[in-house]
Amino acid sequence: MSSEAFIPKILVPATVSCAYPGADAVGKAHLKYPTNIDIIRVPSPVMFPEDFYLGCFMKGIDGILIAGCGSDCPFEGAYTKLTKRIDGLVKKMRAGGLEIERLRLTAICTVCVKAFLKEVNQLNDKVKALGPVNRDVARVLWEASLREIREGIETETANE
Amino acid sequence: MRTEENNGVPGEDIRIGVYVCMCGGNISDVIDVDRVAAAVGEIAGVTLAKVHPFMCSDPGQQTITEDIKTQKLNRVVVASCSPFLHELTFRTAVGRGGLNPYLYEHVNIREQGSWSHKDDPDGATIKAIRLIAAAIGKLRYAEPLEQIQISNFRRALVIGGGIAGMRSAVDLGKRGIEVLLVEKEPSLGGWVKEWEEIYPTGGKGAELIRRLNEELERLNEVTVLKGVRVSDLSGFVGNYNVTLENAGAGDEAELREVLGNAPYRAQAGAIIVAAGFEPYKPRAGEFGYESFPGVVTLPEFIEGLSEMQIHPEGRIFWRGRTVGSVAFIHCVGSRQIEGVHEKQDDGKINDYCSRTCCTAIVRNAALIRERFPGVHVYDFYQDIRTYGRGHEEIYTSAANTGVTFLRYHGEQPPVVEKGADGALLVRCNDRLTFGEEIEAAVDMVVLGVGMTPGAVGKVSEVLKLPVGADRFLQEVHPKLRPVEVSVNGVFLAGTAQGPMNIEEAFSAAGAAAAKASILLNNSTVQLDPFKANVDDESCIGCERCLSECVYTGALVMKEAKGTDGSTCRKAVVNPGLCVGCGACVAVCPTRAIYVNGWTLSQYEAMVDGLLNAPREGARIENA
Ligand SMILES: Cc1cc2nc3c(=O)[nH]c(=O)nc-3n(C[C@H](O)[C@H](O)[C@H](O)COP(=O)(O)OP(=O)(O)OC[C@H]3O[C@@H](n4cnc5c(N)ncnc54)[C@H](O)[C@@H]3O)c2cc1C
Repeated sequence: MSSEAFIPKILVPATVSCAYPGADAVGKAHLKYPTNIDIIRVPSPVMFPEDFYLGCFMKGIDGILIAGCGSDCPFEGAYTKLTKRIDGLVKKMRAGGLEIERLRLTAICTVCVKAFLKEVNQLNDKVKALGPVNRDVARVLWEASLREIREGIETETANE
Repeated sequence: MRTEENNGVPGEDIRIGVYVCMCGGNISDVIDVDRVAAAVGEIAGVTLAKVHPFMCSDPGQQTITEDIKTQKLNRVVVASCSPFLHELTFRTAVGRGGLNPYLYEHVNIREQGSWSHKDDPDGATIKAIRLIAAAIGKLRYAEPLEQIQISNFRRALVIGGGIAGMRSAVDLGKRGIEVLLVEKEPSLGGWVKEWEEIYPTGGKGAELIRRLNEELERLNEVTVLKGVRVSDLSGFVGNYNVTLENAGAGDEAELREVLGNAPYRAQAGAIIVAAGFEPYKPRAGEFGYESFPGVVTLPEFIEGLSEMQIHPEGRIFWRGRTVGSVAFIHCVGSRQIEGVHEKQDDGKINDYCSRTCCTAIVRNAALIRERFPGVHVYDFYQDIRTYGRGHEEIYTSAANTGVTFLRYHGEQPPVVEKGADGALLVRCNDRLTFGEEIEAAVDMVVLGVGMTPGAVGKVSEVLKLPVGADRFLQEVHPKLRPVEVSVNGVFLAGTAQGPMNIEEAFSAAGAAAAKASILLNNSTVQLDPFKANVDDESCIGCERCLSECVYTGALVMKEAKGTDGSTCRKAVVNPGLCVGCGACVAVCPTRAIYVNGWTLSQYEAMVDGLLNAPREGARIENA
């Protein structure tokens, strides 16, 4: 497959308070972005554990743009937690051989149409250049992240 | 258990109805809606997939309610506009059909479909199929949900005692609802009490305020606290807790009498924000302001009106000066143009129209001609927007009293300079004389300043009230929900929301009071069920979620009996305090805690739906 023919599958979890209406504003302004960008509504991406993202890559999502509220986040402390989690995840991806450019955390406000377009287009171009995600590498990382959580349960039940 | 890609499989027989809206061409001009319906009709669990010209119309909604009954649908998807417009509409329709309203998914194929992908109809069509497939996936794991009932403290807190706040308080009080009206200044009335003569009816502003005040004083339901502001706030709809502080002019004894000892605390179920406006303050040097004596703003001029004495020859004698000519300039701090006007401190220009200034200016210009017939009055405007009932007459009468109108171009505002003998020179390229350069020597220049938002302060900060590009507080929807904001239980009254005259501020305040009384009429409040919830069986009591939750009291541990009879600890959610952010969800090792309506399994099913969606299908039905 030539890299030009490759159309990546891009997932954009977008916050109900900011990025999702921001994406709506792009449509209302009749501005364009590619159709391979799929937006899903989330109250806050802070609810996703690492394995959610890794699971997406394992299933064949080529790139993820987490479009949050940034400092406008209506939920106290959520954005800091989210940033930390993504930092940790990026480290694991790098160590495990999954291109970290496939995952990006950004903030989009309700009227930030230019920022939205810039972010989705940039990610799309980067992922296009990278080619399809290596699902096997993602699977290994996904399994490890699940193990990490399960080990936690075992030690805790053992302590009881 | 979390080891599987998706835990739990829906037990019952799933029968999904999918409705694809054409939105009168808004969608169907780009997206091939028939192909979408045919393709999603192939997905397992889909009983029917229909296309309709306007799903939000009565017939569109009826199709849903009827199909639920006749086709025994137990899940519904509508693919149409943004969920912010019609999710609630269709959820309610689903409820009318006898199905739990939360067994509904909304798919956005207009704002995030046809409108964004005009140049790629095929791609947009396939994307619509994918998004619907994702919604179908999510619906497989949907559970019926019930709205949450919480107790309601039946009192309204009104912030700001201008005419808007006063009107809201009177209306609520008359409906028998308790009101706490908080005004930061020592007296009520806001800006209106300063106005010498209020258009379009005439009469003094202070008189209007006096009458409103009398009404307020007759109402036992209304408590007015002056010289006070909100220093802290917490809680949610039905249960706001506010702390008040003396803003300098407050009467401590009165505060103690009403609220007990400091810190002064009060509860309220609803909040009306009526913090009003501040007149635009010109920068030093803007149209000569603060550089030349004789340049004043319109509010400063009006304040001076009552002291202006008539001088022989019909001129004005004011503060030791004789004024024989006055120039008014419109749109100072309003309708600014990028590149022409200097930016405000926040880097923006005020590009909005302040609406109330035109009539205020022409009325005051006429007032001078009526009271001081020897004074020449010039009116420099770019457009005259005397838009209300009776306002056109005010404009005509100003022209008839002999006010001279000159029209400047927005790109070329008039210039104020120092002239000879202490006079002021106003220069302008006049469009009424087809571009003649006109120079008027005057003794006074009155700047028709626009409105900027008042300082709502703590309440706005804590509740994160949304503001528009013009910095005024922003309603949910200008037409459908004009006095509500996205924070439940908070309403907007008057110019805190944008420039309005008294008439409009009164209407808005009445509407806000009506909305607040709908809420405060009941002893309970219904909340959306999208809060965290714990599956007792899978909770192992590890408490990891507890340390993630920052909302005090939203998540606690309780003692419970395990299946073997032993006692163990489980997490429990207080849905009133839970905000549904899901911070707890990410750390749960057993997926025992989840946010209702947005579970991880649902998200995973959505991703599966996106990746495995069909591209074509054979079945086509029409609604
Ligand atoms: C020069 C001029 C002339 C005008 N003339 C007319 C006219 O003739 N006819 C007409 O119909 N309209 C006129 N208007 C418009 C009119 O003034 C407004 O419609 C009206 O004042 C709006 O009332 P409000 O209650 O929304 O705001 P405001 O009058 O601004 O009142 C807001 C009140 O809230 C208080 N407040 C603010 N923040 C807080 C806080 N955080 N805590 C507690 N209290 C707070 C303020 O102290 C103030 O008392 C004129 C406007 C201007 C600028």
